[in-house]
Amino acid sequence: MSDEIIDRSRPGEIEKRAVKAITEADTVDALEEERIRYLGRKGEITELLRSVGRMPVEERPALGNIINNVKRRIEELLETRLEQLASEVQEEVPFPGDPTLPGRSGWQGGPHILHKVLRDVKRIFFGMGYSLAEGPDVELDYYNFEALNFPPDHPSRDLQDTFYINRDILLRTQTSPVQVRYMEKHEPPLRIISPGRVYRNESPDPSHASEFYQMEGLYVDTDVSLGDLRNDVTFFIRSFFGMDAKVRFRPHFFPFPEPSAEVDMSCFGCKGSGCQICGKAGWIEIMGAGMVHPHVFRYAGYDPDAYTGFAFGMGIERIAMLKYGIDDIRRFLANDLRFLRQFWTESWAGVVE
Amino acid sequence: MGGGGGMKVSLNWLKRYVEIDEDVDLLADDLSMFGLNVEEVTNLAPDFSGIVFGKVLEVQRHPKADRLSLCTVDAGSGEPLRIVCGAANVRPGLGVPVAVHGAVLPGGFKIKRTKIRGEVSEGMICSEKELMIGEDAEGIMELDFEETPGTSLEGRLGTSDYILDIEVTPNRPDLLSHIGVAREIAALYRRPLGEPERLELAAGSTFDLSVEDGADCPRYTAAFVEDVTIGPSSEWLKNLLTAAGVKPVNNIVDITNFVLMEMGQPLHAFDLDTLRRETIVVRRARKGEDLRTLDGITRELDREILVIADGERPVALAGVMGGSDTEIREGTRRILLESAMFEPRLVRRAKERFRLETEASYRFEREGDIGITLQALERACFLIRELGAGRPVPQYAESLADPGSIGERTVALRTKQANRVMGTHLTSGEIVSLLGRLALGATASGNNVTVSVPTFRRDLREEIDLIEEVARVYGYDNIGRESSSRGTVFATVSPADIRNERICAYLASRSFAEVVTSSFMDPEDPVKFGWGETDPRCRPIEIANPLTAAQSVLRTSLVPGLLGVIQRNSPTEQEGMRIFEYGKTFLRAQSGSGLPNEELHVAAALARKADPLQWIEQQRRVDYFDMKGELEALLDRLGVSTDVRMLPTENDNHPFVYKWVVKGRQLAEGGRIPRHVTGRYGIETPVYYFDLLIDALPVSARGELGYSRTSPYPLVKRDLCLVAGERVAFADIQNVIVRSTKYLESIRLFDYYTGGHLGESKRSYTFRLSFRSKEGTLADSDVDREIEKILSDLNRELQVTLRR
Ligand SMILES: [Zn+2]
Repeated sequence: MSDEIIDRSRPGEIEKRAVKAITEADTVDALEEERIRYLGRKGEITELLRSVGRMPVEERPALGNIINNVKRRIEELLETRLEQLASEVQEEVPFPGDPTLPGRSGWQGGPHILHKVLRDVKRIFFGMGYSLAEGPDVELDYYNFEALNFPPDHPSRDLQDTFYINRDILLRTQTSPVQVRYMEKHEPPLRIISPGRVYRNESPDPSHASEFYQMEGLYVDTDVSLGDLRNDVTFFIRSFFGMDAKVRFRPHFFPFPEPSAEVDMSCFGCKGSGCQICGKAGWIEIMGAGMVHPHVFRYAGYDPDAYTGFAFGMGIERIAMLKYGIDDIRRFLANDLRFLRQFWTESWAGVVE
Repeated sequence: MGGGGGMKVSLNWLKRYVEIDEDVDLLADDLSMFGLNVEEVTNLAPDFSGIVFGKVLEVQRHPKADRLSLCTVDAGSGEPLRIVCGAANVRPGLGVPVAVHGAVLPGGFKIKRTKIRGEVSEGMICSEKELMIGEDAEGIMELDFEETPGTSLEGRLGTSDYILDIEVTPNRPDLLSHIGVAREIAALYRRPLGEPERLELAAGSTFDLSVEDGADCPRYTAAFVEDVTIGPSSEWLKNLLTAAGVKPVNNIVDITNFVLMEMGQPLHAFDLDTLRRETIVVRRARKGEDLRTLDGITRELDREILVIADGERPVALAGVMGGSDTEIREGTRRILLESAMFEPRLVRRAKERFRLETEASYRFEREGDIGITLQALERACFLIRELGAGRPVPQYAESLADPGSIGERTVALRTKQANRVMGTHLTSGEIVSLLGRLALGATASGNNVTVSVPTFRRDLREEIDLIEEVARVYGYDNIGRESSSRGTVFATVSPADIRNERICAYLASRSFAEVVTSSFMDPEDPVKFGWGETDPRCRPIEIANPLTAAQSVLRTSLVPGLLGVIQRNSPTEQEGMRIFEYGKTFLRAQSGSGLPNEELHVAAALARKADPLQWIEQQRRVDYFDMKGELEALLDRLGVSTDVRMLPTENDNHPFVYKWVVKGRQLAEGGRIPRHVTGRYGIETPVYYFDLLIDALPVSARGELGYSRTSPYPLVKRDLCLVAGERVAFADIQNVIVRSTKYLESIRLFDYYTGGHLGESKRSYTFRLSFRSKEGTLADSDVDREIEKILSDLNRELQVTLRR
């Protein structure tokens, strides 16, 4: 090195070259050569730092700082590249020669089929403009029965079907109380779904459980009609079970909605000609539905002449059993992993190419 | 039928009131679409095949058996058949049912060519019993009609009837009768409805009848029959009753049952001569009274129970069952026929008290038709006279609390409202004619329709009830699908729902299997777990009427359910048991509505092996740090890891269980479930768990996070080897380090040991610290200053020093 004044662009120029060389070095030895070239005792950066002492005193700190930063960046890059090369080297050591050996694996997990179906159902309704409403499992008799147009001592609220905590408190037998609570706090228009666990005091058998999931929907506005109900319910059924499903409304006398209906869909097993799934009927009952009774509006403080609305409800286990061909409702809470595991695989059925 | 919420109707019976040409399956479908759900159609015709009409040509004695005959029978197969027959009544010229080779009898018995005592028999001549169409097993069946030999007899023998099992909801008691169902069929097919014939009775009986409280018994009517001759009923009556599932008894009882099934009105017949006084009083029973009912059981009565009394003693449980002292018997000469209406709640109470559900109570509980009590008596009297069972007295006795109650009720309907609810464009006139098909008299006046509702449809109380009927008769499937709704409602997202779904999805992606267990818990679970007495989990909410003792309380924790799942799965599955549940627990609330605190939890359990058996690595046992790692990663995901403090639990029974506290509130609990607890659940392997209270997550956790620009300046790494006393916790050391410096980007512990040359009371921790500034490149001297500050803080606060 001569006494010449250091060109201020020199540190940057060295760094540029160093970065390229280090990145391209493909062995540990080659990398060490580069380290010596730039940072060794006679390396370019080392020499450059030394030459700072020959600069005018007032310029030294700034220049030193610049060169030190370049030095640090090169050091860091060397270290990173060394780690990279080292790991590449290690990887080669245990390669067993047979690439078809199984890959390293961990345990598998996944969602429970009930929650998976519930999520799918919720998603369809969210897409239609429904919001979520939730409420307690342990409920007041008032919300579960009285406010829903079940008179006291009515046979349909038979003691046999309800779990009681005491005279006024029970385990909800349906998720409709959520709707009542929601209506107390909100003014129409409203459009909600209320999924949740419900309870019936029934001895379990393959098609009855004492606790299961239900999902109800409610839409209240100034001119909601039976025709609108058919639209929403049909859209849901087709989204969930397939767009070719036919839907029919069969009148039924529920105490809560009026007019009310049971909703059937054409059997996806036989397309209506009769098979084991549908019990030869060609139709499968999917849910109950109907127009909200004016009494329920009065309980909620809505003017029954100003608003109309519809409600529907379905059992989540039931539609899961239908969709996946599950034979016994008790399997859901049995949690046999051999059962649960079958539903972890994602399904792309219905994806249009 | 009975409590099942259904009515079994006979097709033949229905045809007495309305013309039905439709195939029974079509009828069932049409009824279902009309709102009468037909759950089952049963063919009552005997189920056989290969039975044909045969003509006996010749009868000879069997050479080897006196009791048997050798018959030659023309069964249409060309050559006459040779059949061995044991019946005494077989004779030439007789028309008989013949089971030919290959025939199948009811019950599945298959007929084959065979040899009987050495003689060939090419079929069988059948008795009534063998065809299951009667009881007669003595002789062969003699057919009373002529047919070409060989003609199949399927559908020609025995009862030819179908039973339709119709689901009936509590608000439609009118459908608990054949006439009620026939009325719907008439409306469905627009056909006339035939009314049953009655013997008109007049008021004015002098019989002493009184009702103590008209609220308990709004209407009581009684008719009287003299010169009664008890005997069997006619065949047609017996056949219809049998088809509908009612066992024939004698003419009087059968007629009351017939009227019950026909009109839905329960009748009761008292032997008038067994009443101690010729008086009927409907009243509450008195304490100390009792009554032996028809089933022979003596019932103790009190003020809660409504009875029929004869002036001295109760003779029937009102609306439920009669007494055995006053029942109809062989020698009964005079009867009193009761047809009444009782308060449904009283009938229900008696039914529940005595666990006695009868055809009568089933209908009274559902509030029958107050308008038809008299018609039912008149119908019974008509049948009694027609069938020669006695001589009805022309006057009836009656007590009626409110004469207005048996009249028609007027309900108004606004055409506009009906169209609004249905989404239709019907005119008032169209609505009137639709309602008319259901025998509801209606008149239109502009936009309003006035409807006269008869007593048999007490479920039609207000406008909306009528709208439902209009919609049903019009046909739900005829209602247009164009939307009439004008308003627009936008969905709102629930942040809590999204968070909860993501927690579940995250854990599933961390290879946990999601499980869903019961909301119920065994009251023994808190005992098995040994939670402390002050622990609210030890005071679960009890169910007043549980299904079983093991499901008699609501769960206070998800963890017992997880142990149940581990225990029920096989040992092979337990090998890699990683499960979690997301759900509610129920804890007693201190005050308020009386409803419990429902807490949302997510709990996970790990047992046995950390990874599957594989060639590449040794299987490692699951340990405490697997659990803790999962919990910490979850908390990190939820944005709360930095605020959380870990504390021991106060429960000595659970030494390796800790709690995680955020802002003074317990967020999670976790550790190893003590061996004695897992042992009580029959689980051998150690189980680690955590239980996170989702409700305790700070609401603001996510909101506080935001994007922070990544620094372009270089990273400086330093390793720090520290020595601490055994009372100093790692978490405290880490906290001090994090607090001491502003340039720390990450901190990782990569070595830890205790004992050895350090001595038992010391622990060594080696950290790798990474520093980076957002403002500029850190010089060595900058980092040195940070390290010095860290060391001095550690030394001052925790007496932790650098290892030399
Ligand atoms: Zn099918």
